[in-house]
Amino acid sequence: MKSVVTTVVTAADAAGRFPSSSDLQSVQGSIQRAAARMEAAEKLAGNIDAVAKEAYDACIAANPYLNDAGQANSTDTFKAKCHRDIKHYMRLIQYCLVVGGTGPLDEWGIAGSREVYRALNLPTPPYVAALSFARNRGCTPRDLSPQALTEYNSLLDYAINSLS
Amino acid sequence: MDNRFANMFGLSEEESITTLDTPLDDLRDAPGNPRYVAASQLANCPSEQSVQALIRAIQNTNPELDNRIVRRKSVESLGRIKAAEAVPILRGCLSDEDCYTVENAVWSLGEIGADDPAILEEMAQLLEKPGQTYRVIIHQLARLDYKPAVQRIQTFVDNEDKTIASAAITSIARLTGDRAPLAQVVEFLQDSTVYTRRLAIQDLVDADHYEAIPAIAKSPVSVSFRLRGIRMLANAGFTSGKLTFKDDIEPWLDKAILDNPKDIELVHEYDQPPTLEFLISELYQTDFGRCYLAMQTLMADHRDGLTDVLMATYAEKACDDYGGHYVVMKLLGWLKHQSALDLIVNEGLKNPMPQFLKSQFAGALALGDLGQSDAIPHLKEALQSPVWMVKYASLMALEQLGDSEGLAIAAEDSDWLIQAKASQIKANSSTVASA
Repeated sequence: MKSVVTTVVTAADAAGRFPSSSDLQSVQGSIQRAAARMEAAEKLAGNIDAVAKEAYDACIAANPYLNDAGQANSTDTFKAKCHRDIKHYMRLIQYCLVVGGTGPLDEWGIAGSREVYRALNLPTPPYVAALSFARNRGCTPRDLSPQALTEYNSLLDYAINSLS
Repeated sequence: MDNRFANMFGLSEEESITTLDTPLDDLRDAPGNPRYVAASQLANCPSEQSVQALIRAIQNTNPELDNRIVRRKSVESLGRIKAAEAVPILRGCLSDEDCYTVENAVWSLGEIGADDPAILEEMAQLLEKPGQTYRVIIHQLARLDYKPAVQRIQTFVDNEDKTIASAAITSIARLTGDRAPLAQVVEFLQDSTVYTRRLAIQDLVDADHYEAIPAIAKSPVSVSFRLRGIRMLANAGFTSGKLTFKDDIEPWLDKAILDNPKDIELVHEYDQPPTLEFLISELYQTDFGRCYLAMQTLMADHRDGLTDVLMATYAEKACDDYGGHYVVMKLLGWLKHQSALDLIVNEGLKNPMPQFLKSQFAGALALGDLGQSDAIPHLKEALQSPVWMVKYASLMALEQLGDSEGLAIAAEDSDWLIQAKASQIKANSSTVASA
């Protein structure tokens, strides 16, 4: 699992040296943001079902034609919302907040997903709609402190950018 | 090409072009990203005006995230519609600062079949540039048969990212004809990382490595990936005369579509006996290796009363989760839960949702397991499905239920695989009858 700390130590070890001052600055930066990340991680973990559900609902709000006859949301049961995948990405974002880096998203959510979605011709706009909604939905100070919201939103942006 | 989602966005070509041409500022308040949706939709519209609209979108270099992803999707859509006239602008994207735009440009140039040596060399040089999606670049260089890249691809065969190593080994085998190292890619089918396992299947398909079919059938990834891989290899091997249906394809395809954990080489294990609650929650894992272990353990250790638990989890969660839904369909069949027949027919076999496709063929097989002749008309009807897995599974279920009328329907199918399966079932029954 890559994080700022493991990246710095691995690079230093590969070169048989001590971490440089810029290495230490990046670790220090990560530590300074840790409290904000933990705040966001804790809130996200506690509200994951609500956050994820709102995000799926946003897919349909953004694409109401999905309700048309013959479309993927045309029966009473709302099945087109990809609940499972969105929740998976929100969980990986939570891990990233804990780690202090994008390792969990990179390693478990993005590298293979892009290829799989492309190979199977799976639609990515619903993910973009759902994650964009989550990014725009967060509010400070109602939901999170400004610093925590910044950490959370930057990871949502990272996921949107990487999956699209 | 799988086009289940082709009409998903309900946008006409004209609407898509108009939306894509709309300035970003005019759409700030619109939910989602309508331009991104439009760029996706135009992949289904291979006309000159679509191509030009997508090219215009790429020429808009506003670096904001909401525009960057539109450019990137436009690059991909041009590849999907194989727009040869877009090669110059796609070539220009090879030097883009955004690594995903570069990745999509490389992929699209591969789709279009851009074989200009100068373009291929620019693609090969990306292997020496940090921060690129090397796996995709390596794939496309092999696909476009660019042999001068072999030395540079060689540097990736031991990459710490096994998905990149897998692509490099496969591509060198394709470019040089030395297939011995492909054994390493077959080993990746048992890697502890799900993406390594999934993507190794794609690599083995790309390399026409027919010998890997048995190993693919046993790899602990989603049944969709295994069936897709076996089917692609079967198509290539059968049409080239290198594989026979009876000996090289059917035994493994049957195992893969039956999808019983006992036939899968699991890479996970429990260090202590898990609780029932934990096992049920594992059915919803996105790593199917963990789902299979949970299914196996549930059937072995928690069989009594399991149907009640499954029906409860179905109502609460599985009806909305296509992965969990599939698993529940399978378990209901294995448990021979007779009162679930209507549920399996209506929510499984006849489920109309594209992402619940797996539940259709799982439903067919579950109906075979239940052993009720009431299911026969539904299974015969399913032989008209556009999806080969549904037809194949229905044939297997009908055989299990002792029906032979479905064979006549399948014998007329346009798909060689369905014809071959029907023919083999008929041959098997003749052998049994004469014995």
